[in-house]
Amino acid sequence: MKRILGIDCEPKAEKDILGLLGKDAYIQYEKFHDEMVLNDYDMIILWMGKNQEHIVQQICKLRYACNFQNIPIILIHNQKQDISSQPYIIAGATEVLSLSDPLPACKHIINGYLIPSREPLAEEFEYLDPFIKNTCHILQTMAGLKVEFKKVYFSNAIRIFGDVSGIMGLSGNAEGTLVVTFYWDLAKMIIAKMMQTEESSIDAELIHDGVSEIINMISGSTKKEFVGTPYHFEISLPSVIVGPGHQIGYLQNTSVAVLIFQVGSQSFALHVCIKPKTTMS
Amino acid sequence: MKVIVADDSRLVRGIVERTVVSMGFEALLAVNGKEALNILEAGDKDVNLMLLDWNMPLLNGIDVIRSMRKNDRFNNIAVLMVSTESEEDRIKEAISAGAQGYLTKPFTPDQLMDAIRQVLKTK
Repeated sequence: MKRILGIDCEPKAEKDILGLLGKDAYIQYEKFHDEMVLNDYDMIILWMGKNQEHIVQQICKLRYACNFQNIPIILIHNQKQDISSQPYIIAGATEVLSLSDPLPACKHIINGYLIPSREPLAEEFEYLDPFIKNTCHILQTMAGLKVEFKKVYFSNAIRIFGDVSGIMGLSGNAEGTLVVTFYWDLAKMIIAKMMQTEESSIDAELIHDGVSEIINMISGSTKKEFVGTPYHFEISLPSVIVGPGHQIGYLQNTSVAVLIFQVGSQSFALHVCIKPKTTMS
Repeated sequence: MKVIVADDSRLVRGIVERTVVSMGFEALLAVNGKEALNILEAGDKDVNLMLLDWNMPLLNGIDVIRSMRKNDRFNNIAVLMVSTESEEDRIKEAISAGAQGYLTKPFTPDQLMDAIRQVLKTK
């Protein structure tokens, strides 16, 4: 049974929304509030009110509450005229649908988003496990933090909804990109622990620098485990992107494994996009 | 005694500086290999040790070691490489270039202190 959360939906629209969902979907309605817990839902349906700025803020908060999980956020309205979906998609919405559009088309789109992300294959865990182990080890060693690996999913999406990402380009036998993404508060806490100082003394430049060093350490400590395998890569100097909902491109025909880790009640994500150039015998 | 800490990461410089100072040394900070060599060229005779990252802009750590070992004035200064580069080949390359020790990131303050003591024993 798919669990759907309908937020701020008008009572008269609830029947229409129910008609969009398949029989194996259960929808629960709630009013929007700032402390929403979304971890267990397969889809969020947000009713689109009139105030664009307010909706954009709601989408941003919902996207944060998803904790890097690939939960589709569908914005639904009943207006007949065309609405630009761009501000909502940038904020973190997955799709904007109108109940005025043909029902079969809307139904098809909604059910497409309910298809679950595939689970990793055993051979994929062979190259993911070293990243998981080393990510936990680095934060334990440098910051004294207990990090728990929570889950992995594969995504073809290129958008990352965090505040700060450290990026390492991979070259050599295997090519690709490693990206670690944090929300600002968790990044600040981790850097403060690494520096053994108060969070109040951590400035934006230090967070920028620290996230860069974290992806540097994850890449550097993991690459030695791939010596002699098709996944062996070389690293260069990392770079950092700051800004919510930033976009990162990946190699074509390569799926991206999104590994979600938890530190206390907060999450961060490591994107692993790695493609061997040749298969070694 | 003075220790040059060369790393392009402000975070790592801060972590290493704190450990070095806690051991009673004075830390001279460099943001890349070129700055580290500039500190040496300035002629401070109290510098006994350099803690050196590998991947840095302008001049990387391995090239810094090679420059130092070609110059008699700096040949007696011990070098501890502190790097994310963790493969055996890289460690051998650094040691054969003239580093006395190699510590891979991540490290704890105790591991860094132990590595510094080991390197200083060799000189």
